[in-house]
Amino acid sequence: MIEIRGLHKSFGSHEVLKGIDVSLPKGKVLVIIGPSGSGKSTLLRCFNLLEVPDRGSIKLGDHAFEFREGARISGKDIIALRKATGMVFQSLNLFPHMTALENVIEAQVTVQKRSKSEARARAKAQLEKVGLADKADSYPHKLSGGQQQRVAIARAMAVDPQVLLFDEPTSALDPELVGEVLKVMKQLAAEGMTMAIVTHEMKFAADVADHVLLMDDGRIIEQGSPQEVLHHPKTPRAVQFLNRLHGKSEE
Amino acid sequence: MDDRQIQIIKDTFWPLLEAGVIFTLPLTLITFALGLIIAVITALVRLSDWMVPKFIASFYVWVIRGTPLLVQLFIIFYGLPSAGIILSPYVSAVIGLSLSVGAYGSEIARAAVLSIQRGQWEAAYSLGMSRTQALRRIILPQAARVSVPPFGNSFIALVKDTSLVSVITFSEMFRKSQEYVALYYEPLILYSEAAVIYLAFSSVLSVLQHRLEKRLERFSAV
Repeated sequence: MIEIRGLHKSFGSHEVLKGIDVSLPKGKVLVIIGPSGSGKSTLLRCFNLLEVPDRGSIKLGDHAFEFREGARISGKDIIALRKATGMVFQSLNLFPHMTALENVIEAQVTVQKRSKSEARARAKAQLEKVGLADKADSYPHKLSGGQQQRVAIARAMAVDPQVLLFDEPTSALDPELVGEVLKVMKQLAAEGMTMAIVTHEMKFAADVADHVLLMDDGRIIEQGSPQEVLHHPKTPRAVQFLNRLHGKSEE
Repeated sequence: MDDRQIQIIKDTFWPLLEAGVIFTLPLTLITFALGLIIAVITALVRLSDWMVPKFIASFYVWVIRGTPLLVQLFIIFYGLPSAGIILSPYVSAVIGLSLSVGAYGSEIARAAVLSIQRGQWEAAYSLGMSRTQALRRIILPQAARVSVPPFGNSFIALVKDTSLVSVITFSEMFRKSQEYVALYYEPLILYSEAAVIYLAFSSVLSVLQHRLEKRLERFSAV
């Protein structure tokens, strides 16, 4: 499904990604963890080219990109890739001037050129799936953070993406609202949706991930099954990071 | 105030109000509508990557904001005929005022677009929208909401600025009051009358602006 090779990305003189290789087979769930500033969000944002890498290659389904210094990637190709992906953001980013239902309808009509009635029916089905059929006509500011994030998932799913990207989807939520969002994500995983998730929820990662990447300072320092990475890390940096997450002292 | 003065007020109030309704208000509405279009286009060009149009737009805003509207009106109406371009007072007034609204308004529109969080762009892009689609469907509707109060201000300022076009012989309300002053020689009364009518117009528009803001608040938490 997704093949990423030798990805490099710098912001100014700061190199954020220092050669990353990732493969994510269809129907699998990839979880990316690591300390803040490790480059994990940047890596995820390269998946749909919200960040354009400096070097390396990305292949997603039929969409293949080679990045080199000075080479321009066509806007049309970028849009084609994005149509094949959906993204859920830490900062929710629902469209505040549209109701929940309109949020889910929007791209289906604007981007996918579906008829209004078809888009509406699909939007209703998606909202139903995330348990928010009764909130269809609410504007985002009337919804809790957890509800907003579930609408955002419905919005991303409504365009039938081949892969769903989650950038710390629960980090901005109050603790008691995290569960309802994770539940929806688990349900998607169980249905065989291909997903790439940046998160700090280790228990969720252990439950849902097929493959875990642990990043530090722009590199992947550990990867493998949740069992391997979360419970039997090999590098000292990984041990240190995981201990800190679990509130253990560093010794 | 003696009987003669009261009679003058009675005789002039309705014609002045009429001039306001027939000339000042339509001139305000037309120039504001044109100015808005110019403002949005100028703002979008200035936010784009097209270097030459961007330079032209910045140059336009720089010139219009840096010179008095009164002088601009003089150039358009009294100056351009020397270059062979003869425009009626009405057309000159519309051009002068719209260009002014457009230049100041473009800064409002630009600031409004820039005030929309980057996450809104990213959400639109992540759904496969082009820049144009994101602008039209996601960013501009929100920017419009943000820019209602400042545009309301410039609209009210424009009602008053229309009085400037009296100097290019366009017989809107203020020029009408000048004509009455020449006739009756009661400047305090007649100019105050005009002021009261301007005040009434601005007040009504303020109320309308406030209502529009209230209406748009329904989808906004702030």
